[in-house]
Amino acid sequence: MNKLPTLKRPGLPGWLILSGSVLLVLVCLFPFWWMVLSSVKTLRELYTVPPIWWPAAPTWENYRTVLFDSNIPRYFLNSIIISVGSTGLALVLAIFASYGFARFNFKGKPLLQSFVLVGQLLPTAAIIVPLFVTLRVLNLVNTYWGLILVYMIITLPLSVWMLTSYFKNIPVELEEAAIIDGASRLECLFRITLPLSLPGLASVMVYAFVTTWNEFIFALCFATDSSVKTLPIGLAEFSTEFNTDWGAVMAASVVMTLPIAILFLSMQRLFVGGLTAGATKG
Amino acid sequence: MASVTINNVRKSYGELEVLHGVSIDIADGEFVVLVGPSGCGKSTLLRMLAGLEDISGGEIAIGDRVVNGLQPKERDIAMVFQSYALYPHMTVEKNMGFSLKLARAPKEETRDRVAKVAAMLNLSDYLDRYPRQLSGGQRQRVAMGRAMVRNPEVFLFDEPLSNLDAKLRVQMRSEIKQNHHRLKTTTVYVTHDQIEAMTMADKIVVMHGGIVEQVGSPLDLYDNPANLFVAGFIGSPAMNVIGGKIRGGGFVGEDGTRIALPFAATDFEERNVTLGIRPEHLLLDAKGHAAEIITVEPTGAETQVLLRLAGHEIVGVFRDRILHKPGETLHVSLIPERIQLFDGKSGQRIDFREAA
Repeated sequence: MNKLPTLKRPGLPGWLILSGSVLLVLVCLFPFWWMVLSSVKTLRELYTVPPIWWPAAPTWENYRTVLFDSNIPRYFLNSIIISVGSTGLALVLAIFASYGFARFNFKGKPLLQSFVLVGQLLPTAAIIVPLFVTLRVLNLVNTYWGLILVYMIITLPLSVWMLTSYFKNIPVELEEAAIIDGASRLECLFRITLPLSLPGLASVMVYAFVTTWNEFIFALCFATDSSVKTLPIGLAEFSTEFNTDWGAVMAASVVMTLPIAILFLSMQRLFVGGLTAGATKG
Repeated sequence: MASVTINNVRKSYGELEVLHGVSIDIADGEFVVLVGPSGCGKSTLLRMLAGLEDISGGEIAIGDRVVNGLQPKERDIAMVFQSYALYPHMTVEKNMGFSLKLARAPKEETRDRVAKVAAMLNLSDYLDRYPRQLSGGQRQRVAMGRAMVRNPEVFLFDEPLSNLDAKLRVQMRSEIKQNHHRLKTTTVYVTHDQIEAMTMADKIVVMHGGIVEQVGSPLDLYDNPANLFVAGFIGSPAMNVIGGKIRGGGFVGEDGTRIALPFAATDFEERNVTLGIRPEHLLLDAKGHAAEIITVEPTGAETQVLLRLAGHEIVGVFRDRILHKPGETLHVSLIPERIQLFDGKSGQRIDFREAA
């Protein structure tokens, strides 16, 4: 049999791309692997040199400590309330602001749009004191609302920008058709634009949620009472002046990582675009 | 059904005026085509009629209601967009029933009306599909169905066929025409394609540069164009034009070629004029003008020949098979009765038959 003539594939050879990708994935996943592994090791195994790659007797003891002998469950609940609250609030406000920026022309729009980002430019250290003063005046220190509002301020600017560009990419004819069909502006937004913006909404949601979930400095300053402390603070609490319970830190880290992982996996389908396929030609 | 009256309508974007006072009367049940080159304001006018653009001046009335200040949904119109603008997240049935749903019509009524229109448009088998699962022609039909379900006073079409391939366009053209025949709804149809205008319209409105150049029935526009623009725009290939003067009661081209006119146009002596003649009104005639052949394009049924006559390139369409080669000479004559004369300066048609 003659071998059919084939075109040479351009670029790097396949085995190089494959081994490169595998290496990259391994490097990225190693910390997670180490985290999960360490969370099931006994204290003695944790400090063994050279490190043990597979614990002789995996233990759930660290998880028991975290779940029953620490404040972590309470902090977990706090984190959920604060992250969900601020994400929801940011999403609602961002939807309306972005729709305005994307669909209407008004005086000072470019100025306002760039002004939205100014907040994002200020370093954390610069705004932390003014925010604290403001929260104290409003009696919001050590409350859920305090952190929810602060986190909303942090995530809103980028959310508005992300959604604005997403809305702009939805063909305006669709809304015109809806208007002709008798829809009001709000009906256009809720029945046409939003359903088609699910991938955009999902990205904004994940961005806002992850940002607030992982935030440390603001939580440290504005939530000093254990009734509102969040998970990152809880992790830090395992380190005391004299020692650090690394097993518990790792177990708590796993607990803290799970919601994010679940969120990403459940939203994965939405990140794949193509929702407007078939709407208009081309 | 309703008539539409457009009275001295203007549109400006800031300083820039794009419609300079347009007036059109559309009778109840009429199929009117707005045609013109891109940028002539035809789509803008349609969008003003729909209520998607503000009216800067003048008045638009549907029936006896002035609609200037009314929202689109209060105007009782339906529109078909060039891009179809189907809602991608809804099935065909939901797409077509969307307006009724917004109007809070009872569910059974919505389903019945959608089913009826779908049957009319051969879409009954596709009601559960999403727009992305349909072909171009089917999407086009859904877009029309969405408009028809509402049973509006006026249908507006904004270049609905320009995204379809040539064959489908011809088919959809006749479907739209048949639907109009059946429903007899007043229709305003925008296109840049003069063939669509000629084949579909009861009345054509030729627009150019924000004004109406001429309003009339297709054949009226073809036979008696009001000016050089309409003459050049309507008809394919376009009307041939030759610049020259009236001298001794006849036409003399810039290079001295004399062309006989059906009447002695003595009143217009020495006036600069442009002579227009349709390609099919050139005849092969051994005693006619000698013209140099530039190209020969046989299409089977007829032959298009590009000729140089009186210093101008003109196109002749002949039923005969022309076997000449480029560079050779062809003798042609112009049917005198079919010659049009236009003023050299303004481009307006000179009705020399009446004047003579």
